[in-house]
Amino acid sequence: MSNASVETRPNSQLAAPDPQQPEPGAPENWRRFFSFSTDHKVIGIQYIVTAFVFFLFGGLLAMVMRGELITPDADLVDRTVYNGLFTMHGTIMLFMWTFPMLNGLANYLVPLMIGARDMAFPRLNAIAFWLVPIFGVILTASFFVPGGPSQSGWWAYPPVSLQNPTGNLINGQSLWLVAVALSGVSSIMGAVNIVTTIFRMRAPGMGWFKMPAFVWTVFSAQIIQLIGLPALTAGAVMLLLDLTTGTSFFDPVKGGDPVLYQHFFWFYSHPAVYVIVLPIFGVFSEIFPVYARKPLFGYKVVVVSSLLITVLSLVVWVHHMFASGTPGWMRMLFMFSTMAISIPTGIKVFAWVATVWGGKLRLTSAMLFGLGGLSTFLFAGITGIMLSSAPFDIHVNNTYFVVGHFHYVINGAVVMGFYAAIYHWFPKMTGRMYYEGLGKLHFALTFIGINLIFLPMHPLGLMGMPRRVASYDPEFAFWNVIASLGGFLLGVSTLPFILNMLSSWTRGEQAGDNPWRAIGLEWLVSSPPPHENFEEIPIIVSPPYGYGSDEPLVSNNPKGTFEESAASTQIANLAGEAN
Amino acid sequence: MSSVNVNVKPDPTLNSQAAHSHEEEDHRMFGFIVFLLSESVIFFSFFVGYIVYKTNATDWLPAGFEGLEIKEPLINTVVLVSSSFVIYFAERFLHKENLWGFRLFWLLTMAMGSFFLYGQAVEWMGLPFGFKDGVFGGTFYLLTGFHGLHVLTGVLLQGLMLGRSFLPNNYEEGEFGVEATSLFWHFVDVIWIVLFLLIYVWR
Amino acid sequence: MATNDQRTTDLNKVLNRRRIINLTGLAIANLLISLWMGQQAYSWLPPQASAESILIDKLFSFMTAVGTFIFNGVVGTLLYSVLFQRAAKYDPSDGPPIEGNVKLEIIWTGIPILLILWIGTVSYQTYDQMGILGSMTQKTMETVETVPAEPTQKVATSVEESATSAPIEVHSRQWAWEFRYPKEGVSSTELHLPVNQRAKFKLTSEDVIHGFFVPAFRVKQDIIPGKEIDFSFTPIREGRYRLRDSLYSGTYFAANQTDVVVESEAAYQKWLQTAAKTTPTAAANVAQTEFAQAEKTSVSLGWATVKPAPAPIVNYSNQPNTSQPTPQFEEEPHE
Ligand code: HEA
Ligand code: HEA
Ligand code: CUA
Ligand SMILES: [Cu+2]
Repeated sequence: MSNASVETRPNSQLAAPDPQQPEPGAPENWRRFFSFSTDHKVIGIQYIVTAFVFFLFGGLLAMVMRGELITPDADLVDRTVYNGLFTMHGTIMLFMWTFPMLNGLANYLVPLMIGARDMAFPRLNAIAFWLVPIFGVILTASFFVPGGPSQSGWWAYPPVSLQNPTGNLINGQSLWLVAVALSGVSSIMGAVNIVTTIFRMRAPGMGWFKMPAFVWTVFSAQIIQLIGLPALTAGAVMLLLDLTTGTSFFDPVKGGDPVLYQHFFWFYSHPAVYVIVLPIFGVFSEIFPVYARKPLFGYKVVVVSSLLITVLSLVVWVHHMFASGTPGWMRMLFMFSTMAISIPTGIKVFAWVATVWGGKLRLTSAMLFGLGGLSTFLFAGITGIMLSSAPFDIHVNNTYFVVGHFHYVINGAVVMGFYAAIYHWFPKMTGRMYYEGLGKLHFALTFIGINLIFLPMHPLGLMGMPRRVASYDPEFAFWNVIASLGGFLLGVSTLPFILNMLSSWTRGEQAGDNPWRAIGLEWLVSSPPPHENFEEIPIIVSPPYGYGSDEPLVSNNPKGTFEESAASTQIANLAGEAN
Repeated sequence: MSSVNVNVKPDPTLNSQAAHSHEEEDHRMFGFIVFLLSESVIFFSFFVGYIVYKTNATDWLPAGFEGLEIKEPLINTVVLVSSSFVIYFAERFLHKENLWGFRLFWLLTMAMGSFFLYGQAVEWMGLPFGFKDGVFGGTFYLLTGFHGLHVLTGVLLQGLMLGRSFLPNNYEEGEFGVEATSLFWHFVDVIWIVLFLLIYVWR
Repeated sequence: MATNDQRTTDLNKVLNRRRIINLTGLAIANLLISLWMGQQAYSWLPPQASAESILIDKLFSFMTAVGTFIFNGVVGTLLYSVLFQRAAKYDPSDGPPIEGNVKLEIIWTGIPILLILWIGTVSYQTYDQMGILGSMTQKTMETVETVPAEPTQKVATSVEESATSAPIEVHSRQWAWEFRYPKEGVSSTELHLPVNQRAKFKLTSEDVIHGFFVPAFRVKQDIIPGKEIDFSFTPIREGRYRLRDSLYSGTYFAANQTDVVVESEAAYQKWLQTAAKTTPTAAANVAQTEFAQAEKTSVSLGWATVKPAPAPIVNYSNQPNTSQPTPQFEEEPHE
């Protein structure tokens, strides 16, 4: 029997929602999402919705790109436009979709999961969020300045990024740099806030090894932000100075060193991919136990491996520069350090498999997306290890093999993990249930779409098709046509999701506090949780994921009224035992 | 409830949140330290860049330039480093609730900081090269300028804290502002020492 | 609360003898499939036209086999769970409360360690051999008698040092390739190489970073402006292959391609002599053509671009004067 709601109301998940709870979706309720709110839950949803809008925008650009690539010639759009499109696609997807989206999840979930009433710095939190639409507008505005947006790829490697054909001070590239810098400021604010919150605001009893795995992964990811982002900022400042004032840090004509920029860039942008994927690992760790009804296998090792990934991620960046005139010893060193990442990651993957194994599986939309995301991640991880092998990477570097690798993880694991998270916590966030049928349709289309578009990129890369090309030799046409069709299918797959979210939010069935019978502090409060989350700060007495055993999670009732009951004496005994 | 609490031993280092207050105060210093650690990575990156440029350059100094004068910068360094001690005494006075002692030493720190900025400006004016003169010019002005910006920020913050010390009941909710400013000042100081060694001492 | 004993028995139940036998059977099946995939891997790659390509393909085949094995193992297990371990519709109960198992965890920390040591070592050896072959720029270029790894290849047993071993100068720019044979005084937009001889290059760029990439040779090197980069490899198969710019270099990056012709020593010498006698002319250049076309149209459909550098003036050029790149990937043996 699950003990998820052992405390006072064993049936609370069936109970009607708290009458005091404002009607979700009622007008006075949705308005606050457009206001300067300091409630972490409002900010979380603001982040997620804003990020998703940018995902659609970035995706739309990708649709045009796939339209161009369906034939070998550069015929749909001008070459300059194609180059601007993939630059903006990559930038938007990373800086305005993944980071804000994950900050949104972290914002919404972390205080709830650690038993805090809000983040450590609610106002800073709100400011960090409102920077997102600001730099979003700046980035979008760069489409309309003379000369168009940045066309130097999301790496903005000099000297290409310094060429500035318009000669204007305000050009696509400088706006791009300003937007990326602001995004960095926002991320640092968020990171300081989240790290402080996790360090200092855990509810009594919540030691490090009682923290849910999601909180651990968010923590590990934000540490990376704190260490890595300043390096990118340093590089971006120097690039901006080169571009606007004529210094010569990266300009080889004047003695600068363009490869140094590459080091600055990848010192951050490599770890950034783990900033992106770590919280998704957390989502997997939360979701598999719930829908397999088993504890997370090897919890301690799984959470500690997140920190190992953090540390390792800081020492592998040169694997993006194997072909950049990197000396042989460096190639070998970074080859081995990169491969080492598969150890902590492997621990996680095997632990998830063991969690699912022998469980009582329920294939809800969240679970399907979780399992789908895990399998695409595995595929991407294996191609990642291939890429880390320097001699092989020299062949496929800057080909579609790399594009295939990272979309498998970033579009496969991360986007699917994001969907899994949304389906899983949607009832908590809105108080409503989504439509399972639409969710499954969404999964099927997404999964097929992803494999159709990104699998063909691997043979393309192996055959030698470079990335970032608007035209290509006809021998590559076959796989590109399939990829484009898969891409359009992937575009269409977002429609059932949007439909599902909009209609469920306004008119879905009432969800109750804990529709999945999940264990976790967030499931002990009403859906959606009240302002300041907990009436009483919970006192945690057991580790997370107590599926199949009868240990209660807390010794009081965070929702408020706690009645002296048989349960409480049992709790007391267990608490003593647990120590 | 009591019967339950007896058995639970909350980690004493965790703050159990008092009902319905955000307790933002308590976390500020922690958050600020996290921020400073992160910020130090920017300087670190610039330093690494400087080292890479300098060790790889074929002709490092701009043509006709012999090298940086070390005497005035050394005086500047001594002033800035000593101001770290002065600000420490200012803080001590505040803890002992000697407000005027605090203000005096605080003002002295500000004066020393301003002297440093002035010295830096004088040095800049006298240099025969600009920030566009090769990688050396660029990194020199970038490093000293970025650091100078921090000194300026420090002095401005100190001014703010000085003004606030005249507000009644200013320290009732703790001395976070003063402590943070002082920590920031030490930070700026340590950065300068590394910077000085790299730019002026390392030939 | 389940005790530790209970947990162990739960685990023993999961791992009883029959299961283990079944598992071994599945593992062997997986191994066979993986080995087969490893063999397939060769067919996903372009023709093996350089000594290096043989090494790389072997490495890739090996990694494909290992990767397939891991992928099938993990996804197969997941699929089994998904198919056979579903909860009944109205079954609210939980699964067994297994929280972990130290032995298993050690095993699956150890396996990846061993695997990456293996993959890493094989990669390292491959890299080392390539260094001897000469494609690794930073290695000191000792003159080593090179024996390609696969004796089955139609390669002269020892690759003789070419008499004309002065490095070929590769000049890259936005957006054209130009190859200069300094000794013969030949310049060309098409790269000609004699078969079975180590080809040596000096790579330079006049503006931005470009990438020297010939998929059929499995070699690639970024060309950093302001530097002169030594590069070499050994073509072993006659034919015509594509040479591509691999590092994004701006507007006409996609069109910055040309051909490499690998031919017999005799044909190569003949080509050099004929080219040397030809007066240099401006080569056709896709970037130039397209840029001029775009200049002419009154409505600009594009964004700002850097103006392409003037077309190279060369003795020999083969670039067709259209925006269509030639479909010349496949290798008709060259007479
Ligand atoms: C979230 C994003 C994400 C993640 C998680 C990863 C994960 C990994 N990536 Fe990837 N990568 C990107 C996003 C990501 N990557 C992006 C965006 C780029 C390109 C950027 C650009 O150029 O624009 C890129 C590019 C990239 C390159 C550069 C290629 C090139 O440009 O030439 C390399 C090279 O080493 C690499 C390697 C790896 C490795 C080894 C992992 C590892 O972390 C994978 C580890 C996981 C596993 C291995 C699977 C699970 C493990 C087991 C089951 C254990 C047993 C397995 C073995 C022993 C093999 N990646
Ligand atoms: C989080 C990161 C992320 C995500 C989610 C995606 C998602 C997608 N990407 Fe990705 N991509 C990158 C990050 C990402 N990408 C990066 C970093 C690069 C490198 C850039 C560089 O080289 O500088 C890149 C590059 C890149 C390329 C290579 C370009 C080149 O090198 O020339 C391609 C080509 O196909 C591509 C395609 C796609 C597609 C089809 C999707 C799809 O998933 C998109 C699907 C979503 C939608 C389509 C939503 C919109 C839907 C509608 C509005 C309704 C329906 C509309 C229609 C059917 C038309 N991307
Ligand atoms: Cu149409 Cu490319
Ligand atoms: Cu990386």
